[in-house]
Amino acid sequence: MVAIPEKRDLRDFDWLTAVLALAIASFGVWQIHNAMPSEGYWTKQIYGIGIALVAFVVVSFTDYRRLIDSAPIFYVIGLILLLLVLTPLGVQVNGQKAWLRIFGLQFQPSEIAKISTVLMLAKYFGAKKGGTLTFREMAVGGAIFAGPVALIMLEPDAGQAITYLPILGAMFFLSGIKMRYVVLSVVAVAIFVPAAYITGVKTGFIKRYQQERINAIIDPDSVDPRGYGYHTIQSTITVGKGGLSGIKGDTETSQSVLKFLPEPQTDFIFAVTAENTGFIGCVSLLLAYALLLSRLIAGAREASDRAGMLVIMSIVCGMVFQICMNVGMALGVLPVIGVPLPLMSAGLSALLSTFVAIGFVVSVKLRRFVN
Amino acid sequence: MKIGDQVQNLGARVATIQVLAFVLLALLGVRLYFLQIVNGEYYSDRAESQRVRFIPIPAPRGAVFDRYGRLLVDSRPTYNVVLSNEPLKKINVADRVDDYSRGLGLERQFVIERLNLIKQQNEFEAMVLKENVDMRDITWVEAHALEFPELRVELQPQRYYPLGTTLAHVLGYVGEISPKQLEDPAYQEKGFRPGDIIGKGGLEQYYDEYLRGRPGYRKVLVDSRGRVQSELEVVQPQSGQDLITTIDLDLQLEAEKRLADTPTKRGTIIATDPNNGEVLVMASAPSFDPNIFISGRSSPDGRRAIAAYWQDEKRPLFNRAIQGHYPPGSTWKIPESLAGLQQGAITVEKSNLVCGGGITIGSKFTRCMGSHGSPPLSYAITKSCDGYYYRLALKMKIEGVIQMVETFGFDKRSGVDLPNEKVPQTPKSHMAGVIKREGKWSDIRTVYSGIGQDTVVVTPISMLHAVAAIGMRGQMVTPHFLKEFRSIAAVGSEGQSDYFAQRAGFGYKDPEPRLIEATPDQWDVVIKGMWGVVNGGGTAGSIRIPDFDIAGKTGTAQVAALGKDVGDKKDHAWFVSFAPAYKPEIAVIALIENVGFGGSFAAPAVRGVYDAYLAKRPGHTPQEVAAK
Repeated sequence: MVAIPEKRDLRDFDWLTAVLALAIASFGVWQIHNAMPSEGYWTKQIYGIGIALVAFVVVSFTDYRRLIDSAPIFYVIGLILLLLVLTPLGVQVNGQKAWLRIFGLQFQPSEIAKISTVLMLAKYFGAKKGGTLTFREMAVGGAIFAGPVALIMLEPDAGQAITYLPILGAMFFLSGIKMRYVVLSVVAVAIFVPAAYITGVKTGFIKRYQQERINAIIDPDSVDPRGYGYHTIQSTITVGKGGLSGIKGDTETSQSVLKFLPEPQTDFIFAVTAENTGFIGCVSLLLAYALLLSRLIAGAREASDRAGMLVIMSIVCGMVFQICMNVGMALGVLPVIGVPLPLMSAGLSALLSTFVAIGFVVSVKLRRFVN
Repeated sequence: MKIGDQVQNLGARVATIQVLAFVLLALLGVRLYFLQIVNGEYYSDRAESQRVRFIPIPAPRGAVFDRYGRLLVDSRPTYNVVLSNEPLKKINVADRVDDYSRGLGLERQFVIERLNLIKQQNEFEAMVLKENVDMRDITWVEAHALEFPELRVELQPQRYYPLGTTLAHVLGYVGEISPKQLEDPAYQEKGFRPGDIIGKGGLEQYYDEYLRGRPGYRKVLVDSRGRVQSELEVVQPQSGQDLITTIDLDLQLEAEKRLADTPTKRGTIIATDPNNGEVLVMASAPSFDPNIFISGRSSPDGRRAIAAYWQDEKRPLFNRAIQGHYPPGSTWKIPESLAGLQQGAITVEKSNLVCGGGITIGSKFTRCMGSHGSPPLSYAITKSCDGYYYRLALKMKIEGVIQMVETFGFDKRSGVDLPNEKVPQTPKSHMAGVIKREGKWSDIRTVYSGIGQDTVVVTPISMLHAVAAIGMRGQMVTPHFLKEFRSIAAVGSEGQSDYFAQRAGFGYKDPEPRLIEATPDQWDVVIKGMWGVVNGGGTAGSIRIPDFDIAGKTGTAQVAALGKDVGDKKDHAWFVSFAPAYKPEIAVIALIENVGFGGSFAAPAVRGVYDAYLAKRPGHTPQEVAAK
């Protein structure tokens, strides 16, 4: 399946995207080091980047159309992995069975299955010729989507399941769903979410700790700083104290080294970044993301077929969603949900899936002139 | 857009996604600006306050010595188990009660009290959970460090009273500042905090400011569980100043022994140097062991012992020397005699008044203990003739008695350097109340006031204060314990935050030495009468010491009406004196509760102190008595 790179391939290879992704990931390694200098997370992340880079190169030089053709196989493999998580092979961490250990290697199938779900959806919607999206198509797309998401909900890992939503949204939106449905769904969300929250609180369906987490966003002074508002309050302090240029790795005052900031190397890596590099570092990081996303979107515009375009745009939407959820949580404007920051958070599976996704984009771009 | 489709508006849809993405990222940027640039300092301060802790380093209190440098009080280093508040906030304290009480052998109720108390404190405060712990407790705390991060073992100085009950009322004790005191603005001003150790009672309280050291602190960096990561700054404490008192331990021990030998074992003995007011002895019986207040607070047995002290009917915590109110009885006749001469009610040349075996006021006859004819003043003192003084008081009138009260300072405290001294009660303080109740001040009250009964109650210290001044022919000095506070060197380097300036040493300065005006022959006649009490066939002839002339006066203070004065209601016995009579070196007073006639128990107790004094008078060195 892997093609030997030709001279023309190297010329057309999207170096800027690759370098941007690698730069952000390397910046991430530094922040993981800042988060816990005495722990081995940052060295593990370097190995992770190495593995991810190999996967990235392989995917880049592989014809994405052949990968999309084989999408059903990947999709089935993804489902099997997600099923295995629920068997005794799955590793339980903090009450969640989200990890799989095979041959001593521990990884998160929900991250891997994200790629196969994207491919499967792109194969289905890519075959569409034009016109508006029909109910039948929505139903089939929804079914493809529902398989992995249902298994992830069984783990249960709601945070990870939520990150699948923008993939389906992008597919529908770019496959010509009628604008009135888009408007309708936006309005519905705007009404439903607060209504659901209020009825949820009244009926006791939303648990007290969940309420506390949401209160911590709305009114941080009213919640117990040592209770469920703790994460949000500590993250806000950590971000705020970074100031203009940050503490630059000073361990004496580091919120994460002193363990005030929980999960600093994963969920709250952005808070660590904010503390260590300040406003300058954070804005630079956000600009780097914006630039990377622009490159990806440009690739989508140049894609030579619908499936390729869909793959890229659903990856873009997934990334935008994760960046906003994660950074919004670190800045205390969104409730605490364990969503990793793409390319930054420590974790091999997420890193691998992001690099593979970007490799896909590069592959699509590489073949923009074909046929 | 390479793949176009007019119906789907694909290009516009992709552009929408792109714009939405940039808008969202820009919003995050705005929020970042708000947090980091606008409020950066606020969050920086919050972060600092949660990672920096100040751990106090207690300062040892100054030691206390007797006049010859023998140790009365010092501090010993002990290991305490300290409970810090901060890690406790995150846990349910009810879970800890059983663990602590089992692990450290503490009473459950005490552990609950402690936990409740510390929960009310601000964050980051620490409190002693168990004092003076042994190796077993230390091992237990260390072994459970992960389980109970709120516990730690600290080396802290603890007050120690090597002599136990000896001098307890004078020395006082120390303890944690009470919640009531913490609310007092006077204490708040000095920056006291919960758990601070302050003097309670006695010299510990009166001179707390000087005895107390200046605590230092360690400024440390802690993690989210309050565990110390590194030390940022250390400010060493400055010890308190050492106090040299005027007490003579040899005489003190003799006095305490004398009190213990009395039938009721209740009473007080005070001895001063009338020349300068230095207090050599102040014994009050029964006494208490201050060490129980130091180490007993956390143990069930100690708490029971403290409660027993408070509930004891014999009132061991009460310093009878300065807090006891007793009718002075015939000791009152000494200042009264001088006042009579001063005011001209009698003169040195013609001091005779009728005894008459008593006096009739209205239809009521009040008797004298004897029949003394028409004695002169000296003889009246020597024989303690009540009839004489009934008439003297009538001649002086109640206004004269009140003037005498003012002359000898019975309307205020003696000014001794101890807290909680009581003011005597006299016709001066009773006048308004009596007139309001009875419409007038009747003659019978004036008669009784002439023999130190009815409207007159005094403290033993006030009586000694007055009589010592008579021995000194009018020089009245304030009794006091302070001989010297030693200086203490500066700590740290000048100009730095860890600097404590040197605290200078100082001695006692009498705030108001007074002079009572009378002619030499007026002094002579009163002192002659007192000399006669011991040396001239008077009421205390049994304690005469050859070549050491004691001038004194017995007193028998009536507690209950005649006929009922038996058992617990027996009269109090007084003896007040100074010696040598014409060049006093030492003044001694004894009051023994409910033993009857003054000459029989009070005078011999005083004699014991004089014997001890004489034993070391010419060139005798004090014996080592610290190891009692």
